[in-house]
Amino acid sequence: MKGHQIQSKIISMEIEVLNAVRQRTLDQFTEGPSVKESRLFFLLLPFFSGKTWSPDIEASAKTVSIVYAALHAHDQIKEDAPIIKEQQLTVLAGDLYSGIYYQMLVNAKNIVMVQRLASAIIKVSESKTSFFEEEFRTVEEIEEAITVIETELLMSFYTFYGYTEYAPLAKQALLYIRYAEELKRLQSKNYSHFLRELNTNLVHENYTKYWLTEKLDSLHEQILASIADCALDYELAQFLLHQITPHQHRAEQLTREG
Amino acid sequence: MEKMKLKLLYSDLKPELEMIEKELEQAVDSESLLLNDASLHLLQAGGKRIRPVFVLLAGKFGNYDINVLKKVAVPLELIHMASLVHDDVIDDSEIRRGQPTVKSQWNNSVAMYTGDFILARALEHITKIESPRVHEILSKTLIEVCRGEIIQIQDKYRLDQNLRDYFRRIKRKTALLISSSCELGALVSGTDEKTAAHLRRFGYFIGMSFQIIDDILDFTSTDEELGKPAGSDFIQGNITLPILCARKDPELYAMLKSNLNKNLSDEERFKVVEAIRNSSGIEEAKAMSERYLQKALRELSFLPKGQGVKTMRKIAFFIGKRKF
Repeated sequence: MKGHQIQSKIISMEIEVLNAVRQRTLDQFTEGPSVKESRLFFLLLPFFSGKTWSPDIEASAKTVSIVYAALHAHDQIKEDAPIIKEQQLTVLAGDLYSGIYYQMLVNAKNIVMVQRLASAIIKVSESKTSFFEEEFRTVEEIEEAITVIETELLMSFYTFYGYTEYAPLAKQALLYIRYAEELKRLQSKNYSHFLRELNTNLVHENYTKYWLTEKLDSLHEQILASIADCALDYELAQFLLHQITPHQHRAEQLTREG
Repeated sequence: MEKMKLKLLYSDLKPELEMIEKELEQAVDSESLLLNDASLHLLQAGGKRIRPVFVLLAGKFGNYDINVLKKVAVPLELIHMASLVHDDVIDDSEIRRGQPTVKSQWNNSVAMYTGDFILARALEHITKIESPRVHEILSKTLIEVCRGEIIQIQDKYRLDQNLRDYFRRIKRKTALLISSSCELGALVSGTDEKTAAHLRRFGYFIGMSFQIIDDILDFTSTDEELGKPAGSDFIQGNITLPILCARKDPELYAMLKSNLNKNLSDEERFKVVEAIRNSSGIEEAKAMSERYLQKALRELSFLPKGQGVKTMRKIAFFIGKRKF
């Protein structure tokens, strides 16, 4: 499959998600449903790789995207300030998307998937809340929480449909993307809860920066190995490496920063 | 006291409700200490547990089996709880049922994740039931409840909205979930379609009456009785039936208009509350609630006589006369 065909399938999935959750007031006042391209790529990866794929599986992938959109909406709510109309509607957008994913799976008579996704949402919510707890955690525990947040929904989809061979690659890539975003945040001093906890844990933010760049390099190496393990074809591997997880080695990053 | 009186009405369901209470506690059990605290905090603040009660009572018209009924009753209460945590973020509410809200005790983000967690637990629970019809009803209800809330935000501060807007809103916001509680209780107990339909309509009418009374009490009760400031609906821009009925008076209309969407001091808030209290709006809204109550009672008259109907009738009368 060519790069432009992959891109076009991802866009078409994005449009389908948009159409499934469309609501006039929400369209007017909220930023609308948002699902990262990388998540759509990995939901569609078995299809891109030529694995068994059916309209039912595609519909199911769409519902996972809707759950991602629901949880993303709730991530956008400001932590402390009283919220304004756009944010009030964003809360409800997340709730509405949850109702829609449930209804879609009910219509598809796929109640088991409802249960799997609900269990995944529980784990994701627990992991997100863990960043507000006061107890000390090791770096490994923080990493585990981030892994759950980034990958649990996708993993439940892979497990349900027997696509677990892609699980290591997807985990590495989604973590890679998250750490790349966190590094950008760190550089612009826009600290997330994850960065604050890591800074506390690693004592100084320079160590956090070092940790993140090391992680990115190591994950990149792992991604290359997993691409070989999964036997992705050349175009697909190139799309992943250039569009989804474009990488700068640590040395290059340091050079850029002068 | 009022909650006690209500509980006395369904005292014959006490063992089952205690079982449901335990199931609710287990359902919100989490590996995250914070989520555990936040969910239990919400659970222990209490509530009338009206939805589980209606599930159980509806079950009396079929093969009453608590082990089946609890699979519906628990998720319905969880769905209600999840919506309350998110509503408190939307309304920026500090207090609910006299207790600090999750968002005020922790923050908006924790409240969002607590709501997501509780809703997911509800769905995890309801999937123990295989009946497609149950899932069709519940998923549709969930969506409609959200749409009702979206409309509520759209209609905020619109003093000129019509009565139809209000009824459409409370139908989705409150009546549908109560109506679904009755219908689902009936369905999982294997009642016939006709009985389930009467129970669904009973739940709908009683839900409408219940919400109207709630909206009246927001003006007629004290802060202490409500466990939140009286007139909160008006402060948050929710134009409810007492206001819609009272606005016919041009002077009152002008006063409401000038106080809408403003940061009111306690004194100003009391003035608005007092003005509505003394207007014809309260009596007119009560009459409307009574009409829904009568419709609910009429639905009961089509059902086979027995303890179920008896208790439902008592609850209906209580709802019509409750003080807070």
